[in-house]
Amino acid sequence: MDDQGCPRCKTTKYRNPSLKLMVNVCGHTLCENCVDMLFVRGSGNCVQCDTPLRKSNFRVQLFEDPTVDKEVEIRKKVLKIYNKRDVDFSSLREYNDYLEQLEDIVYNLTNNIDVENTKLRMEQYQRENRDIIQRNKAKLTREQEELEELLLLEQQGNEQRRLDVLQEEQRQLQAKRKNKQALLDELEKSQLPATILLAQHKVRAAQLETQIEQQKQAVKPTNLFSTGIHMRQTVSLQPVPKIEEVLYHYKPLHVEIDGPPVPELEQLGRLGYLNHVRAAMPQDTAGGYTSALACHRAIQDAFVKRSL
Amino acid sequence: MFHNSSQRKYWIFSSEDEVEQMRYKANQKFRNKIAESGKPGVSESTFLERHEEDVLFRHYERRLLDFCNAFKPVMPKSVVGTAIMYFRRFYLSNSIMEYHPRIIMLTCAYLSCKVDEFNVSSTQFVGNLLQESPAGQERVLEQILEYELLLIQQLNFHLVVHNPYRPMEGLLIDLKTRYPTLENPESLRKSADDFLTQAAMTDAGLLFPPSQIALTAILNSASRASLSMESYLTECLGLKGDKETLSKMYDSMRRMKTLLKKYELPKAEEVNVYKQKLERIHAEFSTSSNKRKRGYEEDGHVAKEPRITEEEWTDEDLV
Repeated sequence: MDDQGCPRCKTTKYRNPSLKLMVNVCGHTLCENCVDMLFVRGSGNCVQCDTPLRKSNFRVQLFEDPTVDKEVEIRKKVLKIYNKRDVDFSSLREYNDYLEQLEDIVYNLTNNIDVENTKLRMEQYQRENRDIIQRNKAKLTREQEELEELLLLEQQGNEQRRLDVLQEEQRQLQAKRKNKQALLDELEKSQLPATILLAQHKVRAAQLETQIEQQKQAVKPTNLFSTGIHMRQTVSLQPVPKIEEVLYHYKPLHVEIDGPPVPELEQLGRLGYLNHVRAAMPQDTAGGYTSALACHRAIQDAFVKRSL
Repeated sequence: MFHNSSQRKYWIFSSEDEVEQMRYKANQKFRNKIAESGKPGVSESTFLERHEEDVLFRHYERRLLDFCNAFKPVMPKSVVGTAIMYFRRFYLSNSIMEYHPRIIMLTCAYLSCKVDEFNVSSTQFVGNLLQESPAGQERVLEQILEYELLLIQQLNFHLVVHNPYRPMEGLLIDLKTRYPTLENPESLRKSADDFLTQAAMTDAGLLFPPSQIALTAILNSASRASLSMESYLTECLGLKGDKETLSKMYDSMRRMKTLLKKYELPKAEEVNVYKQKLERIHAEFSTSSNKRKRGYEEDGHVAKEPRITEEEWTDEDLV
């Protein structure tokens, strides 16, 4: 599970499995304790590559390979700038080219190739496409808000249902208790013999039970589908565009033969070829295999067109 | 089927000269590559000549055949045929000096088991290398897996090979059904089989369609047993009136038989001399034999420990 240790204090990671490794922008890891020790002043140099770092840049490592974490961080930053979506492009090819550009940039930054140039390119892109970036940022936030609203609604619905169920249970418990109490009271006060009273009590308890059962089965009528569409509401959607294509016609395989025509599968038995082929065992026929298949294939292969 | 297969489109050549030309080009390409890389102390004599390469090629091909024949569980003939064909095709466009045949030959066998659906696990496969310890077998397996993708690439991803064994079966069935003049076609089977194995060791697979090779095998074994099958050709194969096709067919059969006659077993002393040369070449010029796709480890980041360096295993470690 943990084949890496902290490169500095080495042993501590094995001894303390709950200790987390932190990664930062140069891609090297340090355990929490070492981070605290080295960066007590807030900034310092990385142990392995000596790049100047800040303590705030350390993030808890999520992936086993620290370079993956580094790439994830870089990707997040780049995507903030390169946030065009597929609808912004007029053709699939352009979108793919854009994506490839994006991947090149992320790759370069992750592997420290040509960092200066890449950063220049990014800035240039940012300047050129400022308004598109803004627009997409706004769209993104709107979408997120809508999502959150939906989530909130769902949560509220769940809560409501839970409370309802609890209340139901409470009521049922109370009814049962009342019933028992009533029995005790009657036993005290009434003149009738105890057996009759008990019988009456049993009847009432049974009635209560059936009532509870019925309530459980009564489904609360809703008027909303889960997607939010009201029931009995006719939703007119856009008509699906009809795509007309050429009908497929089956053309049987044409094998060019040099020599006598190969007989059809069905005729092989009649013509006596099958006498010379190993008969199919019961296990083989279960899967649909017949000896004619092997025979046909062998003969076809023998007489297939020779000249090129 | 063969007639719309990649083998017919890309791997059947018109003459032995064309094939020889391709091999010569591969040899030249390697020499130029080394010359360009500017290594000092390289003279023309350190490289292998074409005929020396041929001898070594035949030697390793024979070892491949022996390996496949000694294989447990028993390898079907089509798998052997496919492996030999891969070996041959690979060295059409690559030089022996660049990739050592002993690894390529095992990779060919491994790949052909997979392609021909002859299910052998990788451990079982290297278990057939009886001279190696289990650790040595592991190392061989790693090397095989390294070269597998290269092999597939050099075959241009054309992995389906049509061997002449099935057409031979078909011809035998046809003989038994429609040619009662010949009493016992089964007697032809053994020598036809031998003919086919010998043909696999020549360039016949690269020059003729497999049904042609099968027909030649049958006719050859018939003539060896002094049985006449002329009437089969003319009557049953419907070539009575077609003189041209018939003569063309006889022509190709003659060419094939010449090819088989030209084949000679490599001589042991020659082989040893050339092998020494080859080992020297590989020791000097072997470039990327141990490089492997390392993914994220390109920049010397905190990475996993480097793999244990492999000791080179020699020919004697094979069957």
